[in-house]
Amino acid sequence: MIRVELVKMLRRPRTWITILMLNALPTLVAVLLAVTDIGPQPGEGPAFLSAVLTDGTLFPLAALAIVLPLFMPVAVAVVAGDAVAGEAAGGTLRYVLTRPVRRTTLLVAKLVSVLAFVLLAVVVVAAVGYVVGRLLLGGGDASGLVTGVSGSSLTSTQLVERTLMSVVYVSLSMLGVAAMALMLSTFTDSAIGAALGALAFLIASTLLLTLDAAAALQPYLPTRYWLSFVDLFRDPIHWRDLTRGVGLQGVYVLVFLGVAWANFTTKDITS
Amino acid sequence: MTAARRWALVGVGVLLLVSTPFLVRALPAHDDGSSAVVLLHRIQGSRDVAFSGYVESGGTVGLPVNDALSGLTKLVGDTNKVRVWWRDPSTWRVSTLRTTGETDLVHAGDRTLRWVYESKNVTLVPDVAVRLPTTADLLPNELARRALSGARPGELSRLPARRIAGRDALGLRLRPADPQASIGRVDVYADRATGLPVQVRMFGRGAATPSVTSRFLDLTVGKPSSAALSFSPPDDAHLRSDDVVDLADAANRFASRVPPRTLAGLPRRTAPVGQAPGAVGVYGRGPTVLLAVPLWHRSADRVREDLLKAPGTRELDAGVLVAAPPLRLLLGSPEPNESAWLLAGTVTRKALLAAAAELAAHRPGLSFR
Repeated sequence: MIRVELVKMLRRPRTWITILMLNALPTLVAVLLAVTDIGPQPGEGPAFLSAVLTDGTLFPLAALAIVLPLFMPVAVAVVAGDAVAGEAAGGTLRYVLTRPVRRTTLLVAKLVSVLAFVLLAVVVVAAVGYVVGRLLLGGGDASGLVTGVSGSSLTSTQLVERTLMSVVYVSLSMLGVAAMALMLSTFTDSAIGAALGALAFLIASTLLLTLDAAAALQPYLPTRYWLSFVDLFRDPIHWRDLTRGVGLQGVYVLVFLGVAWANFTTKDITS
Repeated sequence: MTAARRWALVGVGVLLLVSTPFLVRALPAHDDGSSAVVLLHRIQGSRDVAFSGYVESGGTVGLPVNDALSGLTKLVGDTNKVRVWWRDPSTWRVSTLRTTGETDLVHAGDRTLRWVYESKNVTLVPDVAVRLPTTADLLPNELARRALSGARPGELSRLPARRIAGRDALGLRLRPADPQASIGRVDVYADRATGLPVQVRMFGRGAATPSVTSRFLDLTVGKPSSAALSFSPPDDAHLRSDDVVDLADAANRFASRVPPRTLAGLPRRTAPVGQAPGAVGVYGRGPTVLLAVPLWHRSADRVREDLLKAPGTRELDAGVLVAAPPLRLLLGSPEPNESAWLLAGTVTRKALLAAAAELAAHRPGLSFR
């Protein structure tokens, strides 16, 4: 079942069009930086954008920081929102379940398919970011050393390790969105409705993060730790927010998937 | 499994997950019954406690944005997330974290090295007698030390213990008795085991919410590693050495003025050991601070221009007044030589205007240094 869902996801043109669009904005930013050579002021703009002017090898991280606040969650919400609701809207959910397959198994297969999409999207954004960064912004120092956020020098090996950790962390950060959209997908036959519901949840989270009055809620908001992958490039690595980010996404995944499971295995399937 | 059982299982799971952090936070704190004065001495005796940790500091003080004051504006108007490694008062490192990078202050001996990631700037500055506050000054240990300096027993009371950064913390409240004070109270919580301040909250007079807060979210007592305290500029860094730290330091060292011994009824603080008194007057005790900074006419004109653009600025006979309670600034009217006094501090409006009037009436003389 999992293999069927994975193949279905990979064969869909929509998957690749979404990933292509995800890469458009970082590529445009790289072109603009290469042409103008104007970086943001300290404290402004996406992470690592000031650093890539002198070292294109950091552009995968800048690319992730560019798509992470909005484009990536939109893509994930659309794909995850379509997982069950899309089948229902297309009238195929009943037929899928007439095969000797348990609903829990189908839900797990849908979840794995969504997770695979998240990982694929993040890896492609990072890989395209690396190629574009090297081509347009150069390879940095001849010594191969890269200056970390805390001023210490990172070797090529350390940079690769931490970039891979960033890719994993960003993928994990998207799990909460995926689980939310998948849960809503089990409640409705409208894929767009499920995706918009997940996005409304994220927009609310982003807004509450800017309010001092919501300080007590902020540690529990899904978007709170998304950009903490920057902490992997500090010296020593600042694990505090990274571990909290992973833990928080874990809680959201457990809660949303629990509700999705309880609902999907209980409801009458008529579509 | 029935539908009801499925939903019950999910409900119990959600309840457990959501309630766990609140249950952990509700763990009771243990007090040791020590008096306010004893706790004050323990706090004052904790200066050499070595530690490392993670601090959240900041406030709601809305100062206008100005080139000379921008650091201070961010410091007391925003939330700052800071990592700190502290061996002793002369050897420490603080990193102000941003999603775009960080700014590090590395202090060793009598110098501070400043690293800004985004610009790759490394600046070396000397320790000076008078300067504007930095991130390090807002750490709970430093903020508490300054707030409690000169505290009198009658101004102190105990607060119930709390758990802060996972440790038992004993509470101490200071209510400044000076009528000039715009700070109504300062609540300090100190680690029960070491006396190290772990949280400081400063409230303006009559305010229910703190204007400035600094607290540890993580704390490890013990000497930090040498690696954490060291800094070697990277190859692509832009190195610079600044002899003059900021506006206050420049005025203190190069302005030829002699501030009066008292201002608005507040005595002038003595200069740090080994430092000659300069042209900037620092007055008051504990959290009640009044700075009198003599500005050259160019600097004064720039500051006046910026202050007049800021919302809430008032033009008075005495000068331009900015009130961001509990902090107030007054740029005095230009003197015949076009220089002006910048008065700033945690004092009442009445005290600030009285100070301006005194300076205008007595015109502190030139020094012959």
